[in-house]
Amino acid sequence: MSAQATAVRTGTAVREAVATARQSWTDSATAAGVAVGLAVIAPFVLGGLIANDSLASGAYLALAATGLGLCVGLAGVPSLAQGAFVGTGAFVAAHVLRDTQLPAELCALIGAIAAAGLGTAAGFAVRSLDSVRVAVGTWLLTWLVALALGALPWLSGGAQGLVVPTRRLFGLNPTPLVHYELGVVLTGLCALGLVALRRGPFGLDLAAASQHRGAAAALGVPMERLRVAAFAASAFVGGLAGGLAVQLDIVADPTAYGPLLSFELLVAVLVGGAAAAFGPSVGVIVLGLISLAARALGALAGVSASRFQPMLEALLLLAVLTTGGYAFVPAAIRAARRFRPAPPRASRRTAAAAPPSRRETLRAHDLAKHFGAVSAVDGVSLELQPRTVTALVGPNGSGKTTVLRLLSGALPPDDGAIYLGRQELTSLTTAERVRAGLVRTLQSRPFFGELSVFEHALVGTNRTRRYGGTVRTLVSTPLFRAENRIAEAHAFAALETVGLAREADRPASELTGSGRERLMIAAALATNPAVLLVDEPSAGAAPEDLELLKAIFTRLKTDGLAILLVEHNLAFVRAVADQVLALELGRVASREPNPRL
Amino acid sequence: MSLAVQVVFTGLSAGGVYGLVAIGYSLLYRLTGIVYFALGDLIGLGAFVTLLVAAGTQPLTQETVSGGRMALAILAGIAVCVTVGAGGYFAVVQPYIGRSAIGWVAATLALGFAIHAVLDAAFSRPAYVFPDPIPFRRVGNDGLVTILGAQIHVRAFAVIGVAVVVAAVSSWVLQRTWFGRSLRAIADDADGAAVVGISVERTRALAFGLAGAIAALAVVVAAPSAPFETGSGTLLGLKGLVAAVLVRFGGLWSAFAAGLALGVVEAALGTGLLGHASGLAAYRELIPLLVAIVLLAFRPLRAREVVE
Repeated sequence: MSAQATAVRTGTAVREAVATARQSWTDSATAAGVAVGLAVIAPFVLGGLIANDSLASGAYLALAATGLGLCVGLAGVPSLAQGAFVGTGAFVAAHVLRDTQLPAELCALIGAIAAAGLGTAAGFAVRSLDSVRVAVGTWLLTWLVALALGALPWLSGGAQGLVVPTRRLFGLNPTPLVHYELGVVLTGLCALGLVALRRGPFGLDLAAASQHRGAAAALGVPMERLRVAAFAASAFVGGLAGGLAVQLDIVADPTAYGPLLSFELLVAVLVGGAAAAFGPSVGVIVLGLISLAARALGALAGVSASRFQPMLEALLLLAVLTTGGYAFVPAAIRAARRFRPAPPRASRRTAAAAPPSRRETLRAHDLAKHFGAVSAVDGVSLELQPRTVTALVGPNGSGKTTVLRLLSGALPPDDGAIYLGRQELTSLTTAERVRAGLVRTLQSRPFFGELSVFEHALVGTNRTRRYGGTVRTLVSTPLFRAENRIAEAHAFAALETVGLAREADRPASELTGSGRERLMIAAALATNPAVLLVDEPSAGAAPEDLELLKAIFTRLKTDGLAILLVEHNLAFVRAVADQVLALELGRVASREPNPRL
Repeated sequence: MSLAVQVVFTGLSAGGVYGLVAIGYSLLYRLTGIVYFALGDLIGLGAFVTLLVAAGTQPLTQETVSGGRMALAILAGIAVCVTVGAGGYFAVVQPYIGRSAIGWVAATLALGFAIHAVLDAAFSRPAYVFPDPIPFRRVGNDGLVTILGAQIHVRAFAVIGVAVVVAAVSSWVLQRTWFGRSLRAIADDADGAAVVGISVERTRALAFGLAGAIAALAVVVAAPSAPFETGSGTLLGLKGLVAAVLVRFGGLWSAFAAGLALGVVEAALGTGLLGHASGLAAYRELIPLLVAIVLLAFRPLRAREVVE
């Protein structure tokens, strides 16, 4: 390819990127830009009011808190280990600085990588745990690192800590001012990254998984992998903050990275607003104001200020929590919206093109599952062909839902095999089965409380993406943006199929029960499945909703999908099913074509 | 041999306190599905209120406190523990039950740090000597007896005894009284318990108060053996949590046994019973913590598991 052609293509890509950026530019982006600008000039304006080294410590604290925001705000995971990650970064960087002649930035980076290693291990340990155990486990980890620093002099340099040699930072004399500006720039970058990730596939998947694990798993969200990634990334940022802060402090203090630091970082995130990218930074500023207040209180009472600071922080956190979690940044955004409502989004779905449909037959042979002595499913075989609706009926406890869970990968079968076309699915995870073209909806009509109707469908399309990785999301590559447009069109098409296109921008929590049922069918359709498994769609549906559902299933059938319905409503079964399988005590009792047909 | 005896008694007396804290964590977890991160600081609060009533914040010699005043002090400490613990339930636990975990995690931690900060502000010296509720110095050789060649503090027996008695009484209350039956009913099914007329909130609140108080009682007996710091309660909370995790927040006696075992293991690692005294002693707190983290990651908790 000639250099000229490359230049032209690069130029086009840049123009496109600028255009996309301009489209997505919002008031909050302006506000964030102004905030970063103010932060950059703060030391010159505040001149002497607050010492530069306090400002610099604050900037690194904000960086660590922004990293924690990834775990708490994006993934909804109560991580109490951020202090441990900051400490790991600090001490590893301190050792590397002392023992080698490597440049300062590289030492901080090595600290960050070590912290990311610990974060990956921690994330791996808690990858599939409920939030109680995540909280307890990360709390124990914070104590483990704090006690290790206290008990192991070879690690921490004993009570005096490690004295760290100072080296030039990016060619500059490492004054507190340089550290401060570096901290602000890194925090800004990290917050920008958070914004990009939140809007991208990674953020949507994490949000879905944190709001309903089961439903996210059914849509093939690889929750465990995402959680490990979130922990690793948040530990990396925390470790980087630690590795740089230790060079600002000149001494690595083994008592500085204990549970109190983890708690303070959590306070910053929750007080500032976990969901907003700049929330943690605002939280750190609030903590700074608190430390001023604590100093004043301490002077009044004649005690050291450090004794009041945790108390004021705790009280502030309790106040924020008891007022329903109205953190500072979200509250400010809400107030601003009242004066200047957000402009309606430009319609992004002109061509509601459906994805190319996949047509495959699902075959299951002799599936068996025992729970202790009870045999829930005992030798069930079935075949789901394209363009057919198969209904699975039977009394409660006959094993209908267990069959569904075996097929979708939520439960491993004791015996039997499952094939989609020629591909064997038996040992694949739910996420892999969804990518292969087999998806399921849950019975209890769960939904992702804080996502919009459209975002629900987008979570489904994430399974069909090839260029939605974290790096591509962060730098918004042309491929990523092109794929975005396709994914949005497909998500919109799925909503149209179930009659929710007009509700696309509403929060899912505003939908009726039947609306939520159709919403999760749409999210499942957005994964572009060959086979759709639906658990009791008619439960609690009003007569007009039933008509709607019948129309949907008839349309999906003509589109070529193979559908399995678990259903109690026999009238509904008669109206839509081509084939009826009756289960009794885990066995197929009868297998008949629908008498209506 | 004498070293082993020494380790067992020191370990059991530390472990008795850990065990009572672990009982508290387990019980509260089963009642509400949350881990009460403020429990350790609550215990510290009970101990320091006892100290305040017995001797004020001034330095004291162990003989300056009369028996009557000491009894009053212990009662005051327990009363404050129950009040703050129960109040804490309404303030930092009840609003968040069944909602996002970040709420109760942050709120219970905040309560713990707030209590710790109050103690720090009121008791500003690095460490305090606690008055002795029972004058052990008059027993044996200045409070020491020799068993199988090992010098054991008489107090160790008292602490072990108090811990076992408190655990036994708790077990009896849990099994035999109306209050205990209500607690077990709530732990099994809170909604069902409410339907049959148990006042769920009040019962839970009382349990949150008592959980701290029973451990504080043992702390007051154990505290005079070493300098006590404002952070000592926090650390006890951590040890109790480790013990509770080891038995997956299980039954009362298994939590207590885990606490005892943790105490003995720490003592064994710390005194070099397992060889290489200098090498392992530094790791005596780290090893159990690491084991607890690993177990937590790879074993499910009892009940209250999310099933989809």
